[in-house]
Amino acid sequence: MPVQTAVTNNQEMAAKTREITREKFKFKLSLIGPIAALIIFLAIWQFIPMLLDIKPFILPKPTDVLNAAIEDWNMLWPAIQITVTESVIGFLVSAIVGITGAVVLASSKIIEISLYPYAVILQTIPVVAVAPIIVIWFGSGYNSIVIIAFLIGFFPVVSNTLMGLNSVDKNMNDLFTLYNSSKWQTMWKLRIPAAMPYIMSGLKISCTLAIIGAITGEFVAGIGGGKGGLGYAITVAAVQLKTPYLFACAICGAIFGIVFYLLVSLISHYTLRSWHESAMKVEK
Amino acid sequence: MGAIQKEVVCFRQVDKVYNTGTIALSQFDLSIREGEFISFLGPSGCGKSTALRMAAGLGNVTNGKVEVFGQDPKEVIRNTNDIAFVFQDANLLPWRSVLDNVLLPLELRGSDKKARKETAINALEMVGLKDYLKSYPRQLSGGMKMRVSIARALAAKPKMLLMDEPFAALDEMTRQTLQMDLLDIWKKENTSILFVTHNVYEAVYLSSRIAVMSARPGRLSKLIEVDLPYPRERTITRFNEYVEMASKSLEHSMGRRELV
Repeated sequence: MPVQTAVTNNQEMAAKTREITREKFKFKLSLIGPIAALIIFLAIWQFIPMLLDIKPFILPKPTDVLNAAIEDWNMLWPAIQITVTESVIGFLVSAIVGITGAVVLASSKIIEISLYPYAVILQTIPVVAVAPIIVIWFGSGYNSIVIIAFLIGFFPVVSNTLMGLNSVDKNMNDLFTLYNSSKWQTMWKLRIPAAMPYIMSGLKISCTLAIIGAITGEFVAGIGGGKGGLGYAITVAAVQLKTPYLFACAICGAIFGIVFYLLVSLISHYTLRSWHESAMKVEK
Repeated sequence: MGAIQKEVVCFRQVDKVYNTGTIALSQFDLSIREGEFISFLGPSGCGKSTALRMAAGLGNVTNGKVEVFGQDPKEVIRNTNDIAFVFQDANLLPWRSVLDNVLLPLELRGSDKKARKETAINALEMVGLKDYLKSYPRQLSGGMKMRVSIARALAAKPKMLLMDEPFAALDEMTRQTLQMDLLDIWKKENTSILFVTHNVYEAVYLSSRIAVMSARPGRLSKLIEVDLPYPRERTITRFNEYVEMASKSLEHSMGRRELV
């Protein structure tokens, strides 16, 4: 950490102020740039169907999508709520089961060596292929969808946590040995805290995957009657050629994905901010 | 130091061969007296760190025997706080504050909670970091981190302090201050210190005895008794004579390595 030196004269002060202004400008640019790009993108999207006279059910204009979203808001909003609930529950279950599972695996070399290969193999099975079986076992609706969301989000948590638990510095391990630390003391006071950055990046991957899992789950196990999530709404919209509404659903799913990811990143930032490089502001 | 000196560490005909086939120690014989400050001086690969690790019970000897306080070192670390180790990098837990880092050994040993904090604060006071209890390691300089590491080692009131090139990564000014402070602590706490270094000046400045080692296989090549009063002056002739003597033994031990 650089030591703050005393500012000796005005020149230095001025230089510093200039630097801060430049920083601020950079910050503004980093905000304005993407927004400008988005506006340009939306404008092109708006004009191409108009110029080429493409029908809205093939490629709806942004305004069509917005209209569809407003018109069918009383259908869209419940669908969003359902998907959000399913994804969040699926994510939480995969986080809890994943972290606990990794701790159990890491607590014994024998268990880890025996079971980890199967965890990898299970992960390579495409969840979409297993989904119908899960529907057969657990029926249509919430349960199956949450399980599918869990299955898809679970593995990144396990593998990341496990990697973190096993990446403890050798000297640190020696230090704990010297103080006659028990296996679980080492786990709680050294391995789990040391694994936190890994666990957090696992959770970041898992939260977006849980949404994919939920929407995929709804494709196969979604039920109608006001109880279908975004995935179900998308399948229905596709069949009815309500393309603008389909776009609205997909965009809502994407927005939720971004929000969820930012939320998990924020939690990660606050957990690690006191010590980990990834969460620290670098002073120049 | 008393007339009758107890032995704290004893290496008897110790061989250490790593799984990779590297012979780290060969026929290593050394007896360390209570209260002494002994430096292990040698080129890299001479097994000086290995000797220290064996004395701390971190790893098994291939042949021979290491005894600490007349016992197997593994037993000593299992049952007592008598051995403390300071690593080359400060080895602090980055998610713990300075105070919590020093508390760690006491926590692991399960001592009384209130007394624990007091002990830790005392240890930090001894290294001059009483005002940094709440800081995190990343906020400290290299020298300060090393001080925390020393405080952590002292917190458990060890009888023996093992230090593996603790000042090697520090700048010269910081190193000299820490060397002085370490000598003060040594005198105050009456511990035995085993100190690994590759720096001749450091060895002569600090130690009551220097064990010069040669490399591949690691052997003891010479024992130098440094008969200079503390605090030592780095500029006097006698100091420099010892430096020369130690350097010559070191050269000699390295020369042998080139012949091998």
